[in-house]
Amino acid sequence: MKKYLSVFKISFQGEFVYKLNFIMWRARNVLQIFLVFFLWDAVFSQPNRVIFGYDRSKILTYVFGLLIVRAFVLSARAVEVAGEISRGDLSNYLLKPVNYFRYWFTRDISSKALNLAFATIEVVVLYYVLKPPFFIQTNPTILLSFLASIILAVFIFFVLLFMTSTVPFWMPEIAWGAQFLVVTIVVEFLSGALFPIDVLPVTIQNILYLTPFPYLIFFPLQVYLGKIEGLLIVKGLLISFCWAIALRSLLKIVWEKGLRVYQAHGR
Amino acid sequence: MFIKRIHYYLNLWLLMSKNSFSVWLTQRRQILIFLSGKLLRFGFFLAFLYFLVKGSDNLAGYSVNQTVFFFLTFNVVDILGQFLFREVYRFRPLIVSGDFDLVLTKPMNALFRVLMGGADVIDLITIPPLFVAVYYVGRLLAPSPAQIIYYFFLILNGLIIAMAFHIAVLSLGIITLEVDHTIMIYRDLTNMGRFPIEIYKQPLKGFLTYLVPVGVMISLPAKAMMGLISPTGILASFALGSVMFILSLRFWNFALTKYTSASS
Repeated sequence: MKKYLSVFKISFQGEFVYKLNFIMWRARNVLQIFLVFFLWDAVFSQPNRVIFGYDRSKILTYVFGLLIVRAFVLSARAVEVAGEISRGDLSNYLLKPVNYFRYWFTRDISSKALNLAFATIEVVVLYYVLKPPFFIQTNPTILLSFLASIILAVFIFFVLLFMTSTVPFWMPEIAWGAQFLVVTIVVEFLSGALFPIDVLPVTIQNILYLTPFPYLIFFPLQVYLGKIEGLLIVKGLLISFCWAIALRSLLKIVWEKGLRVYQAHGR
Repeated sequence: MFIKRIHYYLNLWLLMSKNSFSVWLTQRRQILIFLSGKLLRFGFFLAFLYFLVKGSDNLAGYSVNQTVFFFLTFNVVDILGQFLFREVYRFRPLIVSGDFDLVLTKPMNALFRVLMGGADVIDLITIPPLFVAVYYVGRLLAPSPAQIIYYFFLILNGLIIAMAFHIAVLSLGIITLEVDHTIMIYRDLTNMGRFPIEIYKQPLKGFLTYLVPVGVMISLPAKAMMGLISPTGILASFALGSVMFILSLRFWNFALTKYTSASS
């Protein structure tokens, strides 16, 4: 445990090495929120309008919630794993007395902590600049469920990212390509990180609910907004939990198979 | 003399593009993955836009077809820009390593080499189907021949503004050694042109109209196709495009005087 605490501290300090990079990355996140905010602001220009089950305050809270939930769930240092496998740098870790998954999970948590801190400041600043109507959830049960859904989302994303990162075991040249396809495109759109999934027709929504993606961003925000209540929250949390277990088991199999074919290219 | 010069650079561009495509064609699986990603992103966004505007009747007063046409026009400027100016994304290593010296000593305009020296094959593949989509949705707007001509010239003007921005990014790269984030921030700003500029409020709207003229680059051509632009507006946008292009060239010349050739 002590060594992972050290990894956390070093990784956290490492985030400040390339300050400009980090600031630019956060600036880009804010720009993306501007796009989504003004889009929904235009759609809900009439204050009492209700579309797709949202009123103005709930949809704008969804937009602000995106900034926070994205910062916590989707920010990860483990994006570097694919590159380490394709360059053969994985060998360094296999020789060390560290659990490779715990090592990267710890680094992810340090990145998430920093991103969450900045996202919170950004939300406060943007709140005063844009002055949106805001929905504050006060029900403690719902807030606890929201927290549980976030924890599960973090775990599911970590496993999904790691699964994608195993592609270079078999095809070292497409380390970045696989991540671009899965993390940048599929997760971004199907998790609700760009728009709420309930904009889509019910049939498509029902298909999406069978995948792990909506449980990363959309489901936690639906819980916070109170759009899902009672047994539906329990059902959603159970599905998230099942996905977390299933993906973890699958990752274990794929990782072991990958290690068997790993040739430490470039070392 | 001028025609001869154009011919010389056209041949150079064809040669450099051929080399760039040859490099890409050795990585067929990569092409397939990136192409699938780009098509998926385009499809997802189009579907979202369609269902959003259909569910809410209109977006800032624009119908489904008009909103989709704004999105397609954004893609025309964005993809053509990436296809032509992809080499900008590879500029930083040249500056950091000092290898830019080798570009400066060649019998070719250095700006031309670092701006247009590596056309992107993936973007080239996506251009024909995009043009078909623009033609199909454009026809639904029932434009007059004059509106179609305005559209083409304003797209050209949008590309000149995009070129001016890419030149500015290169120039900043020489001075600050930072290219990657600057170009991504430029792209994030142009991404705001996916929707009609009317959805944004002041001061962002003013910023996107005058400072980073996403409105002129993307919204204006689409509006011209819909017959919503006056001839004065069209002339003003050409003037803006020309001024930005001249300023970017001056900035490039200034940046060159700051190049230190460090590490070479």
